[in-house]
Amino acid sequence: MLSGPVRVTVVVDDDAVDTVAAALRAAGMQIDQVLGTLGVVTGAVPADRQGAVAEVAGVVSVTEDRQYQLPPPDAPIQ
Amino acid sequence: MLTAQEPTPPQRTGRYVVVFRDPSVDAAALLASAAGMTDLAHSREFAGQAVDAAQVDSGGGVILAELGVAVVQAQPEQIRALQDSADAGPQVLSVAPEQIYHVLTPPAPPFQDTAELTWGLQAVRAGTSPRTGTGIKVAMLDTGFEMAHPDFAGRQLTAQSFVSGQDAQDRHGHGTHVTGTACGPAAPASGRRYGVAGQAQIFVGKVLSDSGSGTDANILAGINWAIANACDVVSMSLGADVPDMNPTYTAVGSRALDRGTLIVAAAGNNANRPGGNPGFVGAPANSPYILAVAALDQQLAVAPFSARSGSGSGGQVDRAGPGVDVYSSWILPDRYQTISGTSMATPHVSGLAALWAQASNARGRELWAILTMESQRLLAPSADVGSGLLLAPQ
Repeated sequence: MLSGPVRVTVVVDDDAVDTVAAALRAAGMQIDQVLGTLGVVTGAVPADRQGAVAEVAGVVSVTEDRQYQLPPPDAPIQ
Repeated sequence: MLTAQEPTPPQRTGRYVVVFRDPSVDAAALLASAAGMTDLAHSREFAGQAVDAAQVDSGGGVILAELGVAVVQAQPEQIRALQDSADAGPQVLSVAPEQIYHVLTPPAPPFQDTAELTWGLQAVRAGTSPRTGTGIKVAMLDTGFEMAHPDFAGRQLTAQSFVSGQDAQDRHGHGTHVTGTACGPAAPASGRRYGVAGQAQIFVGKVLSDSGSGTDANILAGINWAIANACDVVSMSLGADVPDMNPTYTAVGSRALDRGTLIVAAAGNNANRPGGNPGFVGAPANSPYILAVAALDQQLAVAPFSARSGSGSGGQVDRAGPGVDVYSSWILPDRYQTISGTSMATPHVSGLAALWAQASNARGRELWAILTMESQRLLAPSADVGSGLLLAPQ
């Protein structure tokens, strides 16, 4: 069974964010956000497209999205 | 409090401590023949060699037989005669003026909240700073903010949610607490002051949901927004307990500094120091370009939960702030809450960074350098507190 798309954060060359974002889309990435100021693109990549996305020119890093969780409001240490 | 004390000149008694090479030497005979020192008590004259202090003080001194040491009342000429003597001189290892010793100064009493100020504001000297953060934009990326809080009525505040389906109103409490510490007013509607930069412009970015959860996509959207709005300081009291450095935050921290935005983040609460586990700095604070903040208690000791520097690049603690029993604003109807964590230490540093940005006009890497210069060094290891406790400009 194929695993589903993986949510990722892609750091791209910050001189060419829009160009690299277009290339990422062409490589199969489903783009949610193009954060132009940071040079970061977020979205999801199908399992069979991960290699292609990592090889796009102008990509600095591809990192799987991480979850952050605060303790509940009544926890003494936050 | 752990502060460096000026060295004080030694206080002396007028007596000398003579150390003989051989403890079995007949010290009484040598001191009498070479230097005319008589009237010396000898420790063997006392029951159990427990020398009677009163008797020693009134006489010429005492010979401590087991040590080969004599403490003698003598004139400088007598000491010279002893050292020059052909018989006694070679037997004397050293002569030094006797000094007065004191009990080591006990630590100052711990900081505590007063009617005017939280202990944390006292520790960082925010109460006496002429700076308020006027003209400085501080972004608080957290669970949002209690928009109806009376202490912030009329305050200039920009809010944006990056959590789908939820507005920027805080329904957890954490975001309201950290925003209060960094940017709370100098004169709250009621109770003591708890905020550092009372006139900073507040940018509330909700990147954690009402249940306190978020992802990199939420957080990065918030950072992007803060930089696009030219925020000078970004405060992030959040983290994941993963030791490996995340390349995303390495790039993001560095690019933010390039744009003049300093990102401050919590080192993490994954330590259990009483249990022997010092923990590690988690993401995103483990980026070399994000300022990682540890938590101190009321005696400026490292909090038991506060994470230590990890081994990898970027995994270091950069600074420490008050993070135990921190009183600040909370969602209504509670209005105030006292909690602990590196989450609470972080906004102290963020607020202070705003004061220093105002005072120095520095931003980005230059501001980071100033914060390092202006931190009070602590006796705790740098792996635990970095360059110490950041103080407010005076």
